[in-house]
Amino acid sequence: MMTRLRRVLVVPLTAALIMFATGASAEYPEKPISYVIPFGPGGESDITARHQQPFFKKKFAEDMIISYKPGGGGAVGWAQLNEMPGDGYNIMGVNLPHIIVKPLQKDVGFKTDELTLIYMFHYTPDAVVVKADSPFKTLQDMIDYAKQNPGKMTFSGSGKGTANHLAQVTFDKLAGVKTTYVAFKGTGASVTALLGKQVMGQWGYTSVGAKHADKVRLLAVAMEQRHPRFPDVPTFKELGFDIVSGAYRGIAVPNSTPEDIREKLSAMIGEINADAEFKKKMEADGFALVHVDYRGIKAFMDEKKDGYVAAAKEAGVIK
Amino acid sequence: MDSLGYLFAALTPYHVALALGGVVAGTVVGSLPGLTATMAVAVLIPVTFSMEPASALILMGAIYTGAIYGGAYAAILLNTPGTPSAIATTFDGYPMAKRGDGDLAITLACIASVCGGLVGALFLLSLAPPLANVALAFGPVEYFWLAMLGLTLISALSQGNLLKGLIGASFGLLLSCIGVAEISADVRLTFGSQTLLGGIEVVSALIGLYCVPVLIDLVATPDRHLKVEAASRGFRLHEALQSSWQGKVNLARSSVIGTLVGILPGAGGSIAGLVAYAEARRSSKKPERFGCGEPDGVQATESANNATVGGGFIPTLVLGIPGTPPDAVILGALLIQGVRTGPNLFTEHGSIVYVFIWGLLIATLLMLPAGMLIGRYAYRSIVTVPKAMLVPTVAFMTLIGTYAIRNSISDVVIMIVLGVLGWILGRFGFSVSPVVLGLILGSIAEQGFVQGWIIGAAAENLWGEFFGRPIALGIVAFILLSLFSPLLLNRLRLKRELASAD
Amino acid sequence: MPTDRQNRDVGGMVIAAIFILTGALALWDTLEYVDADSYVFPRTVAGAMVVFCIVLIAWSLVRPVAAAPRRSESTPRRVGLVSAMLGAALLMPYTGFLISGLLAFGAIAWLAMYDPWTRGRLIIYPLVGSAIVLGFYFLFHKVLLVPLPAGKLLSV
Repeated sequence: MMTRLRRVLVVPLTAALIMFATGASAEYPEKPISYVIPFGPGGESDITARHQQPFFKKKFAEDMIISYKPGGGGAVGWAQLNEMPGDGYNIMGVNLPHIIVKPLQKDVGFKTDELTLIYMFHYTPDAVVVKADSPFKTLQDMIDYAKQNPGKMTFSGSGKGTANHLAQVTFDKLAGVKTTYVAFKGTGASVTALLGKQVMGQWGYTSVGAKHADKVRLLAVAMEQRHPRFPDVPTFKELGFDIVSGAYRGIAVPNSTPEDIREKLSAMIGEINADAEFKKKMEADGFALVHVDYRGIKAFMDEKKDGYVAAAKEAGVIK
Repeated sequence: MDSLGYLFAALTPYHVALALGGVVAGTVVGSLPGLTATMAVAVLIPVTFSMEPASALILMGAIYTGAIYGGAYAAILLNTPGTPSAIATTFDGYPMAKRGDGDLAITLACIASVCGGLVGALFLLSLAPPLANVALAFGPVEYFWLAMLGLTLISALSQGNLLKGLIGASFGLLLSCIGVAEISADVRLTFGSQTLLGGIEVVSALIGLYCVPVLIDLVATPDRHLKVEAASRGFRLHEALQSSWQGKVNLARSSVIGTLVGILPGAGGSIAGLVAYAEARRSSKKPERFGCGEPDGVQATESANNATVGGGFIPTLVLGIPGTPPDAVILGALLIQGVRTGPNLFTEHGSIVYVFIWGLLIATLLMLPAGMLIGRYAYRSIVTVPKAMLVPTVAFMTLIGTYAIRNSISDVVIMIVLGVLGWILGRFGFSVSPVVLGLILGSIAEQGFVQGWIIGAAAENLWGEFFGRPIALGIVAFILLSLFSPLLLNRLRLKRELASAD
Repeated sequence: MPTDRQNRDVGGMVIAAIFILTGALALWDTLEYVDADSYVFPRTVAGAMVVFCIVLIAWSLVRPVAAAPRRSESTPRRVGLVSAMLGAALLMPYTGFLISGLLAFGAIAWLAMYDPWTRGRLIIYPLVGSAIVLGFYFLFHKVLLVPLPAGKLLSV
């Protein structure tokens, strides 16, 4: 009994070791992939990963097992990423601007450049959200109010040094207004505050508009083009404010992962992204797909870094 | 379909099997310290992809409700809340077990859990849309005052030395600040340590502070863990039913408190249990017996925390705002299935919602026999296992359970260190419960205060923000009542005694 | 021999002094926060804690307490238990969860043993213990899909 048990335990582990030693195998992936989300279950990082899960299984015939390593606003997970085996069977979700801003505030156990990103698959565009019965019908209404009553316009948002907070700071500067930002613990709490009229508006995401469609109105979205789910909502750009921002989500691997596996994984995530049904499901929830693969990731990150760092300095969250 | 039709749809053998299996699995999961309802439900998500939404909801709801009840076992038998919801169950459950009434406490907990679960589910069935507004009426200030109401329990939990209780609670509040701040932009009190970066996870702290001191003392003496009577007394069902009937007002009040607190997205089962416990103690004729093995204390927390299950589903299904952490996971699973929550879910998708609610009611009823049997087994094994097997098993469970909460070795180290600290503090008359109270209420108090302050300052009306809102004032009234009613009662009693002495 | 009247709560005062130091350390930490939202709460709480501690020390100086009864208990076993648990946690990254768990289980079983080790117990306890550890390992690792650490130096 004991020996059989041991064999049950030993065989897969030895197989894993052999896999590790020989690197990529021809038929990668040949066992389930562990996908670690550095946040708790139920949040957007979890939900978008859960959207990928069935498509991964369908296309590559292996399971994607999602587990959670929350703590420190994601920092606990990212700090441990490079210690995980780089065999292609361990991947982790990454979020912008978190991985750029956090390491600049204090030593959080990792540096932005130490993370090996292989794909950015979507972002949740920032949006100004008000309740459906709010007197602000357009962004201009809100700006007019804020100009007449400096500091009185209150916005809820998720955390500080986050996409919401940085967008609020950038917007205040561009529009020449002074508004008050009230940080809540996560988007859920921030929406609840908006719906309960604790605040007058929310710096939220397009996904908020999708989830609470009958109760809220989006005044503007921070995208290049209008979101297909909200064809009537203008972009900030159309209204004269150069803001394209949001929370970007992607996937990273331990830095010991061989190059060919990085390429292959990147192509696989890209394949899921290209699936029309996946796109439809993601857009129905208010997300917007982006397709930044392993080759394009450096240029993408360099560009984003400059913008986020400038905004974070403006917001006073980094020195 | 009429409501009877929904009931029959929930009574199909498939759904009853899901409900029973869910309750049993949930009870086992909940009884293991560290395995929470949130985790059990999250593991199930891929399984539910292939199920009908109503069936998936029944399974997840049954697991959830079972897990909340299962948390009572470890709380009563090991002084370790299996889930945070059972914190207040330890206050009286463990003293009951120590004096040999563990079997009674478990049966009481089971009856109370079923009562609470039924009340919560019935509110969900009948009044969900209007009650969902409670979730929205609670702003930052109300949460702040709710946390303060919870802190009034310090005096009850400091075992005779209020100053030491206050010090412990401040220390707990300080512990809650450690790590990357949730709503501001700093990393606090880590002193450069990577171990502390993620902060102190509440469940692992509970395991450390409550369970490790018990283990440390168990290993030091050859005495038995719990006192046992020679003769087996079965479930002591008759005794338990009698006690439950006597405490029916307490049960009803606690269930309603649990439902209401469950609706609040920022609170959850632990707060529900604490508030119900505080209220039960305040309105009791024998408040001095709370904390020394008073059955009313167990009944209050266990009915309240199971009522949060039904209560938590109210904002989840009506507003798409999860009432408790497991609800957030269930909501995510529904979203992926393409089910959109909202008031029209109740009107247009009755076949999902009402079948689910009936299923939840059935699951709650099934918990009565299932829970008693499992509870009996848990009690017997804890009582009869020799010490040399019990101590390492529980120690191993704390290790694996703590690790599993966030898949973190740091949490395991923090758990052990806090355990040693808790033991040392206990030696010198500092009870650990105020520390736990501070740790749990800290982030709610801080966030509520900071947000309320910013909003009040923006409106140039700080006083009005903190003292001008009706619900906030109501909670403040309860705070004053809990603080001063013991004094008033004492004075009245003294007067009466003096009068009778004359 | 100190009588009851002279007995002071020295332990409580020492703990309070340690808490004062902790509070001071926390206050010092708050000085470097960049965001006003971050320091309001910890400063208030740390300040309150220091005040409570000072009052407790003053109170204990003027009011003696009854001495706690001493019991015969085994401190080495206590230290052993904590060391075994801590050791398991620190070994985990190197030997993996299963091995460190088994080692801790064995050590704690030995510490918690007050009955004589008969031959029957020597056979049954290790078997039952391994079954418990393996059972939980299987439950968490395979059923609940918890990624338990696998160990860098040794794998099962």
